[in-house]
Amino acid sequence: MGKKVLVVDDDVNTVRFLSVALEEHGFEAIGAYDGVEGMEKIEAENPDLVILDVMMPKKTGFVLFKQLRKDERYKDLPVVMLTGVAETLEDLDTKSEDTHERPYDSLRERLRDTIKAMSQDGLVKPEMFIDKPIEPEEVVAKVAELLKD
Amino acid sequence: MKLWLAFIVVSLAFLVILDIILGIEGKSADIILRNPIAVFIAIILSATAAWLVWKGLIKQPFRRFSDNMKRFTEDGSDSRRDQYQKGEYGKLAASYKEMSAELDFLRSELKRSKDYLDGILESTSDLIITVSPDDKIISINAGAEEALGYQRQEVIGKPIQMLFVDPRDREKALRKMGPTDNIANYNTRFLTKDGQIKHVLNTISRVRDHSGNILFTIGISKDITEEKRLQIELIQSQRYAAIGQVFTGIQHSMKNMLNACKGGAYMVRLGLKKDDREMFTEGWEIVQEGISRLTDMSMAMLKYVREWKPKFEQVQIGDILSEIDRVIKKTAENKGIEFKLNLPPDLLPLTCDARMVHSVVMDIVSNAMDACTWKEYPKGESAKVEVGAYTSHDNQRMIIEIHDNGCGMTDDVKQNIFTPFFSTKSKSGTGLGLAITSRMIESHNGKIDVDSEPKEGTTFRIVLPRDATT
Repeated sequence: MGKKVLVVDDDVNTVRFLSVALEEHGFEAIGAYDGVEGMEKIEAENPDLVILDVMMPKKTGFVLFKQLRKDERYKDLPVVMLTGVAETLEDLDTKSEDTHERPYDSLRERLRDTIKAMSQDGLVKPEMFIDKPIEPEEVVAKVAELLKD
Repeated sequence: MKLWLAFIVVSLAFLVILDIILGIEGKSADIILRNPIAVFIAIILSATAAWLVWKGLIKQPFRRFSDNMKRFTEDGSDSRRDQYQKGEYGKLAASYKEMSAELDFLRSELKRSKDYLDGILESTSDLIITVSPDDKIISINAGAEEALGYQRQEVIGKPIQMLFVDPRDREKALRKMGPTDNIANYNTRFLTKDGQIKHVLNTISRVRDHSGNILFTIGISKDITEEKRLQIELIQSQRYAAIGQVFTGIQHSMKNMLNACKGGAYMVRLGLKKDDREMFTEGWEIVQEGISRLTDMSMAMLKYVREWKPKFEQVQIGDILSEIDRVIKKTAENKGIEFKLNLPPDLLPLTCDARMVHSVVMDIVSNAMDACTWKEYPKGESAKVEVGAYTSHDNQRMIIEIHDNGCGMTDDVKQNIFTPFFSTKSKSGTGLGLAITSRMIESHNGKIDVDSEPKEGTTFRIVLPRDATT
C-alpha cells in the first residue's frame, strides 16, 4: 500500500471523489468530516499528508492546521488546504493594502488576514492552497509532489 | 465791520429823533411842519440801520449757515461749525452743531455697516445675485463673478435667465415660492461664461416695500458641482462594489456545486475507462447533486428578486409552529438536537401569509440546527433549539423567537447575514435563505433582529404586526 492521505472535508462528495482519485494513483485514502474528527483520525491513523478544507463545522481547517503546527508530533506533517483564497493569497504581495476591491466581503477579508499573518510567521506557503472547485487530478499531482522523497 | 456801521447809523438816528422830541416839547402843534426834513432823515436812517442790522446779524449768518449745511449734506464737511456766534442764533448754531455731530456719527456708523455687509457679500464664495422685478440683473457679488466667469459689468442689466442652463428653471423656482416669498435649496444648474455647467443649491427671496410691491429678488446659490461629482463617483463605486459583492457571492455559492460536478465527472470518466458501472453511477449521482443545487440557487435568485405580495388570512400562529414542530422534531433528534416549542395557551390570532411565515420560521429553525451541528459541545451540555411566540403588551404585535445554543456568530457575520450570497456554510444552502426571509418579513411590515454570541448561541426575533393589512 502507498502513502496514507487523510481527506478532511464536511462535504461527503469531496471526500469520496478525492479518495477515489488518490487510490487510483496508489495512495491509501481515509476520510474525516469535521475538524474534530480530523484530529482524531490524524492521531489514530498517522497519515503522511492531510488534505484540509477550511470551512468546516466544529473546528475550522485553520484551527486544526495551527494545532498541528504547534504539536511536536505533527509540526512537519504536510498539509494541502482547499480554499477559495489561493488566488487571494497570491494577491498578498501585489496588492496587500488594497482592501477596496471587495469591501463587503468581510469573511474573505478576515481569511486573507489570517493567511497573511500565518504566512508572515512562515507557517503557510501559497503552494499549499488549492482553490475550489477542484480538479481531482490536480490535487493528486500536488500530493504526489509533496510526498516524493 | 457792518455791525460798527449799523451802530453809527443807529446812533445818528437816535440823535435826530431826540432832537425832534426835544423840539416838540412846548410846541407840539407844529412839529411835523417845523422839521419834516429831519423826520424824513430819521426815518431813512432808521430804515438803513434796520437793514444793516438784518443783513449783518441775520441774513448773512443764515446764508453762511445754509451754505455750510448744504456743503455738509453734500460731502459731510463743515469747517466753520465751531465759529458760530452766541445769542439766539448762537443757540441755533449750537443745536445745529450737535445735530451735525450726530449726523457725522450716524454717517460713519452707516458706512461701517455698509463696509461690513459689503465685506460679507464680497468675501463669501456663495453666489449672491439681486434681480429686478422685470428679471434684470441688478448686482452680482465676487463669488458669482468667480464661479460664473463674468465681470459684473457684463451681466448687470441683462436678463437673469442667461445664467441658467435651462432658462425655465428660474420661473419654476419662483412658482414654487408660494406665499412665503422664499424658496430654499432649489437644485438647479448655472451656465458659466465659458459654457461649463455649475450645479447649485439656490435660495431665492423676494424683497418688498411697505406697500407690498416687489423691490427685487435676492438669490444666494451654493456651488455644489464638486460635491455632485463626488456623489456620482461614490454611487458609481458603490454600484460596482455591490455588483462585485453579488458576483463574489454567486461564485462562492457556485464553487461548491461546481466542485461536485467536477469531482462527479472525474468518477464518471474513471468508471467509463475502467468499465466500472458502480463508480460511473456514483459519479453521475454526484454530478446530478451539483446540478440540482445549481438549479436551487437559480430558483432562489428568482425568488429573491420577485415582488413579494402576501396573501393575508387570519391564522393561529400556534398551528403554524406546531406543524413545524411535527416536521422538524424527527430530523432534530437524528442530529442529536433537542427541539422545544413554547406556546402560551391563549395566543391571539395573527393576520399574515401563513405560507410565508411558515417558510420564514422553517428557514431560521434549519439555520439554528446547522449552528448546533457546527458547535463542539463541552461535556454536560447538549444541542437545543427552542421556538416560542407571544404578543406584545399592547396586543398589536406578534413576536416569534427562535433560540439555539449553537456556535453563534461574530459581529461581522451578524451584520451580513441578510446580505444576498453571504454565507458561512460553504457546502449547503444557496446564500439567499435569510435574504429571502427578510424580504418576506418586510412584505408584512415586520422586522427581524438577532442577538448572538460566538460559542454561546443565537436568538432570532421576528416581530409582525398582528394585522399587517391595517
